[in-house]
Amino acid sequence: MSMRDKLDRLKELRQLVEAGGGRKRIDKQHEAGKKTARERIAALLDPDSFREIDVFAASEDDFSNQKNPGEGVTAGYGKIHGRKVYVYAQDFTVAGGSLGRVHADKICKVLDMAMKVGAPVIGLNDSGGARIQEGVDALNGYGEIFFRNTMASGVIPQISVILGPCAGGAVYSPALTDFILMVSGTGQMFITGPQVIKAVTGEKVSMETLGGAATHNRVSGVAHFITGNEDDCMLTVRALLSYLPSNNLEEAPVFASMEPAIDRETMAGIVPDDPNKSYDMREIIRGVVDIGQYLEVQPYYAQNGITGFARVDGRSVGIVANQPCVKAGSLDINVSDKIARFVRFCDAFNIPIITFMDVPGFLPGTDQEYGGVIRHGAKIIYAYCEATVPKVTVIVRKAYGGAYIAMCSSSLRADAVYAWPSAEIAVMGPEGAVNIINHKEIAESENPVEMRKKLVDDYRDRFANPYIASARGFVQDVIDPRDTRSVIIDALNNFSTKRETRPRKKHGNIPC
Amino acid sequence: MKRFKIKVNGEVYDVEVEESGGFSCASAPAAFPAPLPAPETVPVVPSQEPLPYDYAFFDAGIVSSPMPGIINNIYVKAGDIVKPGDVIAVLEAMKMENKIKADIAGTVKEVRVAKGQAVNGGDPLVIIG
Repeated sequence: MSMRDKLDRLKELRQLVEAGGGRKRIDKQHEAGKKTARERIAALLDPDSFREIDVFAASEDDFSNQKNPGEGVTAGYGKIHGRKVYVYAQDFTVAGGSLGRVHADKICKVLDMAMKVGAPVIGLNDSGGARIQEGVDALNGYGEIFFRNTMASGVIPQISVILGPCAGGAVYSPALTDFILMVSGTGQMFITGPQVIKAVTGEKVSMETLGGAATHNRVSGVAHFITGNEDDCMLTVRALLSYLPSNNLEEAPVFASMEPAIDRETMAGIVPDDPNKSYDMREIIRGVVDIGQYLEVQPYYAQNGITGFARVDGRSVGIVANQPCVKAGSLDINVSDKIARFVRFCDAFNIPIITFMDVPGFLPGTDQEYGGVIRHGAKIIYAYCEATVPKVTVIVRKAYGGAYIAMCSSSLRADAVYAWPSAEIAVMGPEGAVNIINHKEIAESENPVEMRKKLVDDYRDRFANPYIASARGFVQDVIDPRDTRSVIIDALNNFSTKRETRPRKKHGNIPC
Repeated sequence: MKRFKIKVNGEVYDVEVEESGGFSCASAPAAFPAPLPAPETVPVVPSQEPLPYDYAFFDAGIVSSPMPGIINNIYVKAGDIVKPGDVIAVLEAMKMENKIKADIAGTVKEVRVAKGQAVNGGDPLVIIG
């Protein structure tokens, strides 16, 4: 065989792999509004930057690579914004993207290589599940992936994109990664599908209602981002990566600084004078971050809290905030989980955390207590205490009780705590406090309503302000709202060289 | 200067984004030799579309109470036409007036609560069809 013949043979084999499941199945994929694995990789990465690995990987009995070209997954590395990333894309056109031994080996290799060079991994998931013919080999394949996901956690950013079915054990690889993005209408995740649910409990539910993008972004909190189509999803992955370093030993890339979307003067008028009136905390965030450089994480889940990446003066920060216009900005079970996980991610990847506080307390109620708000709320405290990245807190308005302490107060080792003049920092709100402290006085008074009002006003004047906490050194300075951005930039610069260590240990035991 | 219309929770914001000359990297400029195209330098929110409440979501149109509290005000009655983001009631809870907004466009089918009524978290307040 001449070299020419050999080259022809190579070309033929390569075409076979690149054709995936063939024209018919590719057409079917397109009809479902889905792209093929290779099209998705092309949409995700910088043009012509993809380098495939294990191109001719095949099962033992399939040397000519004809049965399942590529074994249902395309893997390799490439670039996003010129930075190295690793990627694998399950190919639904080949055996339904089902995961067999070789399929799992390819994914494991991508994870191993990404760990070796310290680059993020993006998994594009579209798979019918385990390849049943391969039995326990397939199950073991999932286990091997889970192990690598866990080892890589906190070392390299891991991003999962759900572009088709992702059911049963397969959901746990995405669940172990840092971020899950789902495409509305096509991405679905669940442990047991509608058929099993119907058989076992009799409950009828559609796939989309059970585990669609809307469900996981709004109800379960499993997913972090939702987009209407695959192209937007890939753009979101690219945007997300622009805020992150490639690994835990690097810093996030720095961009040009831009002015915020909201000007100085507007900042002073956002918080209403009446403490019973709400406002949108996002306005304040917009007045601090560089215009357009803001990507909210889990924007539809537990909206009483805000988590998101942003750039301030061109540098990446993690934003955590209470949202007074949803559930009064109180802390509950779901928002505790959302905030704690985000804070831990930022800490693992050297991203400073800015906290905007306006919290009336923890949400009261039996469902909260029975649901374990104690152990969930503890996660916020744990995460903030554990974090050694620069932590800057701005108390915008309410800062009451345990929730004040939990939202990165100075006792949890915030590096700088600033308060607006509108801040109310106290152990509890005036009404509640007066009911406890002066309850006898009110009961014995001739006009209890009048007396109560007077005492509430007194309490508000004396305690609902930032100056008592400032006097104790819990607040570094009371600032003009219009200066918030410049004060934060200054603090971030100051604490960028911060060195703080924690005791050596195998690992902590975060409540969950 | 590029103009974006950004919709957050049903409220539309006009945002102007100015291009400032590409992808700059102060720490390692050599790593990014080529300036990147404009849309990529500004990874903005447009990819974060508002959640499509109006399809494939099981409780669309049932506006329920987010937490226990007292209904302070109701702004709609059966037959009224609403659009997403319209304030339809005010719930006083956690010493705060919480605006309850319509999640979908439609006609108010039923108002299940009255002014001054105490409600629990999850109680349906208004049904939009």
